[in-house]
Amino acid sequence: MKIIKYNKIAVLFLTLAIFSSCSNDDQVGESQLNYNQPTKTALDNWIGINYLNPYNINVQYKWNQNTVDNSRYLFPPLVDKVQPALEIVKKIWLDSYKTIGGPDFVKKIAPREIVLIGGVNLNSVGTRTLGIAEGGQRVTLFETDYIDKTNRANIKEFIHTIQHEYIHILNQNKPFDEKAWAVITPVGYTADWYNYSIPSSNELGFITSYARSNINEDFAETASVILISSKAEYAAFLAGIKSPTALSALKAKEALVVKYFKEAFDMDFYALRDEAEKNTNAVIN
Amino acid sequence: MKTQSIYRYLIIGFIAVLLAACTNTDAEQKFDQTPTERLNSQKNELSDILLSSPNGWKLVYFTNNTILGGYTHLFKFAANGTVEMASDFDDDTAIYKSEYDIQLGSTMSLVFTTKNRIHLLSESDNYPIPELEAKGYLGDFQFLYYGQENGEIIFKNNRVNENTGVNGELRFVKATAQDWADLHKNIDMIDNVIGDPSRPLFRLLETNDGKTIHQFDFTFSEITRFAEANSVETGYSVTYDMGIGYTPTGIVVSPAVEVGGQKLTVFTYKDSDGSFTATGTDGVSATIKYSTKPLVITDDYKKLLPGQPQTVYGYIAANLYNAPTNSALFKDLVNKVNATLPATQSIARIQLVFNNAVNGTYIQYQFNGGKAAISHLVTTKEDAVNKTIILTNVGWTQSAAAVAFLKDLDAELTNPKGLYVKKEDFKITYSNTIYTFTSAASNFRMTSYAL
Repeated sequence: MKIIKYNKIAVLFLTLAIFSSCSNDDQVGESQLNYNQPTKTALDNWIGINYLNPYNINVQYKWNQNTVDNSRYLFPPLVDKVQPALEIVKKIWLDSYKTIGGPDFVKKIAPREIVLIGGVNLNSVGTRTLGIAEGGQRVTLFETDYIDKTNRANIKEFIHTIQHEYIHILNQNKPFDEKAWAVITPVGYTADWYNYSIPSSNELGFITSYARSNINEDFAETASVILISSKAEYAAFLAGIKSPTALSALKAKEALVVKYFKEAFDMDFYALRDEAEKNTNAVIN
Repeated sequence: MKTQSIYRYLIIGFIAVLLAACTNTDAEQKFDQTPTERLNSQKNELSDILLSSPNGWKLVYFTNNTILGGYTHLFKFAANGTVEMASDFDDDTAIYKSEYDIQLGSTMSLVFTTKNRIHLLSESDNYPIPELEAKGYLGDFQFLYYGQENGEIIFKNNRVNENTGVNGELRFVKATAQDWADLHKNIDMIDNVIGDPSRPLFRLLETNDGKTIHQFDFTFSEITRFAEANSVETGYSVTYDMGIGYTPTGIVVSPAVEVGGQKLTVFTYKDSDGSFTATGTDGVSATIKYSTKPLVITDDYKKLLPGQPQTVYGYIAANLYNAPTNSALFKDLVNKVNATLPATQSIARIQLVFNNAVNGTYIQYQFNGGKAAISHLVTTKEDAVNKTIILTNVGWTQSAAAVAFLKDLDAELTNPKGLYVKKEDFKITYSNTIYTFTSAASNFRMTSYAL
């Protein structure tokens, strides 16, 4: 009995204390944070319609130090160059995957953010970094200011970057058969790949010199170079390889890429290449 | 009983905690406002001040005053987040519009978010000298706000300066309508800073602290907008290295030239003699000016005088025509001589042979295209006061008519005031020592190899 009585008193006190303790606090006022939407330009609206709404991909073209490497000397792109660059990316990359992989393919596996940088990202060894894919979430594309729609080589290089980075994103979602890949050209990978000419790397079974940096880059380079080449162009490239071991290595890598697309995503890699080729021609012409 | 008392104490304890809990909630406030309020007020403060100057703001941006000069930028901010900007980074001083934002970085900061002129200083592949490869002109376009002083806005670079290890300070000063109208005059000033070929060959920085005058040789690099001035006096090893920014009336330098405890930064150009002068108080001044005499006159001519062993110096056109130490007048005279010759012929060498056992001292002109060499025999004597060697005509190996085309060029080498001779410490193509021969009477300077 006594315990219960004490308990009752205690509960009474507790309740009193709780009510009284906060009774004189100010009411929560309006937020001090500025939650106004920034004014949207025509470009912002275009991005909303073409990237954000259909694909949930944010495009960042204004400078934000949190999405760039602050030790590099980079700058935001010319505003006039943003939409043309995004149109090319949409046509050649998004539309090609949409047609071959299905309308939802890129919606499911895509970078959530594309960061555009105006200038060249020059490395201290003299090489240029054309793009970066981070954690399957963000793709940074450099040299946006220098895009020239009338120049096929220029467009190909820009598209090469996004195709290459997107292969990384795909790999970051579903890994490729790294063991099988690593045994094709076990020697030849090197950190100073930039000291070798592309033809000499080709003769070792690498599609570019950059492919020699490691097997992940090798896979991304192999897939993206095939994607930006027409069937005839790639056949001509293979026909020019003198070393039979290099030729068989390149073919083995191509087969692994095709197998990866089929098994991981049920996609016909060659159909994707043809679609990209068609869309590339549409952009340039 | 035991449980009962435990409960009792527990409950008393609880009540005590509850009662005490709310009595002392007020931590000591260091500021009157919450952090959010303070950030917001700082943001408004920066935004207001940026908009407050009717003609906008001027920044002479010295990105790193140990290797680069200053780049003048004019900004006019608008409330809608746009900014109009002009710069003297290159010849294009037109006004361009872009966007800016005030963002919270490590403190409140001004960011030029879309591309404009200021971003030209941050292009990794556009760098002036090899050591800045991949670093452009070391420019930033996000500036951390550090308050105001005397109507100026104080910012710091977002990036840390690699040389000093700190975020360099920069200041926005109120721009005037005149600043905008005159920006292109900064570009017009560049030629005056580089120096005109018609001016005397030697340039110096002269400081005067009211009592003593010191002289420094002065070299300027246009591509980096950076100047170096080293003392020419033995036992006085002061050096002034400075970044240079152009103004419509002269230059502004950083770091300041410190003379007699005064910091001189603003130099005014005087067209009559091509000088730039910064004046302090109490007779303190610094002047960048021209001189017809070398700052340091060497005794290198002495080993060419009569009685010395034979020495030969050769200007070899193929290797030395573009030597930086050749003066414009020298090249001009060589070009004029070549113009009188048939297209297949030109001057190959100008050799100065001193104290040859057989022929004495002579100037020999050798030609490409099969034309025979021509020699001008001379005697030499020294001007011990001015430290020059004077070459005097004795006679030519060919007729007067046949050598007439060499007259103007030859007259410089044999001018009556003589030649300053200097053994240089740089090499060109070959390991041969370089000697320069400079006229004491004109802007003539020839570069040669010791052969």
